[in-house]
Amino acid sequence: MKKRALMIGISLSAIAAGCASVATGPQAINWDKVPATKVALFYPGQSSYQWLRSEAHAGAAKETARGDACTSCHDDPKEEQRQGAKILSGKHPLEPHAAAIKGKNGHIDMTVQAAYDDKNAYLRFQYKTHNPNHPGNDYPGYRFDGKEWKAFGGMRLNKNVLAGKTATVYENRVNIMLDDGKVPGFAQQGCWLTCHDGERDMQKEPTKDQVEANALMKAIKKSDVRKFIPGTRTNPMDWSTGKPLEEIAKMKANGEFLELMQWRAHRSDKVGGADDGFVLEYRNFDAGKNHFNSNMDSKTKLPKFMFDQAKAGTKAYTAGDYGKKEMILIKGANAVPFDPNAGWKEGDILPQYILSAEDAAGSAADNKALSEWKNGVQTVVFIRPLGLANADDKALKPGGVYNVGFAVHDDNMTGRGHHVSYTKTLGIGAKADITAVKLN
Amino acid sequence: MIKTNMYALIVSATVGSLCLATPALAQVDAEEVFKENDCHKCHHATKAKKGPSLAKIAAKYKDKKLDEKEAMKHMTGGKKVKLDDGTEEDHKIIDTKDVAVQTAVAKWMLNR
Repeated sequence: MKKRALMIGISLSAIAAGCASVATGPQAINWDKVPATKVALFYPGQSSYQWLRSEAHAGAAKETARGDACTSCHDDPKEEQRQGAKILSGKHPLEPHAAAIKGKNGHIDMTVQAAYDDKNAYLRFQYKTHNPNHPGNDYPGYRFDGKEWKAFGGMRLNKNVLAGKTATVYENRVNIMLDDGKVPGFAQQGCWLTCHDGERDMQKEPTKDQVEANALMKAIKKSDVRKFIPGTRTNPMDWSTGKPLEEIAKMKANGEFLELMQWRAHRSDKVGGADDGFVLEYRNFDAGKNHFNSNMDSKTKLPKFMFDQAKAGTKAYTAGDYGKKEMILIKGANAVPFDPNAGWKEGDILPQYILSAEDAAGSAADNKALSEWKNGVQTVVFIRPLGLANADDKALKPGGVYNVGFAVHDDNMTGRGHHVSYTKTLGIGAKADITAVKLN
Repeated sequence: MIKTNMYALIVSATVGSLCLATPALAQVDAEEVFKENDCHKCHHATKAKKGPSLAKIAAKYKDKKLDEKEAMKHMTGGKKVKLDDGTEEDHKIIDTKDVAVQTAVAKWMLNR
């Protein structure tokens, strides 16, 4: 109980410290007076950019390739419900692991509201978590095996989880992908522009060696393939055909990238943050320092921080604590530097990330968030400053209309295991699918 | 009391006979079958999509005095269909061999 109170205290003070207008901002908003838009999200399986342009996307390959909107065909009011159920039915090629995730919900009904004042835009999301009894704020950890600290746990589609070699653990997330009209095709095909064969858990996933041998991946020092926009490849059907960095830099300078904001139940929530990223040649974080950082020292291969026994009541947790205790490590609150001589026992687990609102800096720290999980309903309010001028941000301005896609990672999922919406429009005081109203 | 019982008897007899007389056809949610088969992706109720609208199909059938049997041939034959851009494609085949279901879907379409 004491710990929970401490966490709430940390959350609120961190938010207050990071967002000057919070006292009059989101906490003062009467959301009952803000119009609510129902947005359905569905489980897309492996419906990649390439699959959508293949004959497997029956009767629609040509239409997709020429840039038709998804909703030019998928326009039934129950479309998301129907598609999600089909993909998870066990008979659909887009989800080869349907049996392993039996019982997963095919769609999510989400309520979206938006408001703005002179400083910020406020985007509020509400949805029912699949697990009505847990907020989904657990995250994989580092487990001491008696000799070394090794990664433990993974999302439901993780190979080791599917093989029964590790536990099912992952945080919930609410994501917004936003375009100001500069990414060709996003208004029509939304998030599906960024989802490609070769990405994690998608079809034709390359090996780490193959990725590291690729010219673009080598240049950006990445060992896996993540979201990218088609324009960054000479052949958008093939992740490996990356354009030279100079061309990609020009695209960025011209604003040809997507904003990606993510609220994370484990890695950002308790410090009042939502990360700020962008999708271009990869799924990048903005410049600066995020709200969360690795808790592993790459040189010593030891954790950097452990729990403060005096504040957390323990220096580490164990696998049995997942789902029961809040295993979130926060700098300046419940964390102390790791002591290798603290008498570690096999099975001790420490978080993979250390959180800090104070350390977050630069463009990466632009977004703030408030949240509540109550009676199985998750509420998240993103706080996005208006008029950001950073090179890696899309500036939201009164009167502006933006194309947006939403995603929810729920029930121990990351990567493609999310629910996604078709493209909507967001207007900041302008008519759109979701219109942000001006606060008095 | 007797009156009430008689009334109940008549009602239950009527309902019972209706149930017995109800053909399998009436149990089919034709619209759901239509949508489960993704037919709606090409055929909207009123507007032209990749294929003609249901309203246009119904009008054409009425004009040519065609009935659901012709529509069933269309949805089960997989014949080539000509698109607006001049290209041709195989028409999708409905995922049921149940004639009662096919009939229900065809009748539902032609009644739009």
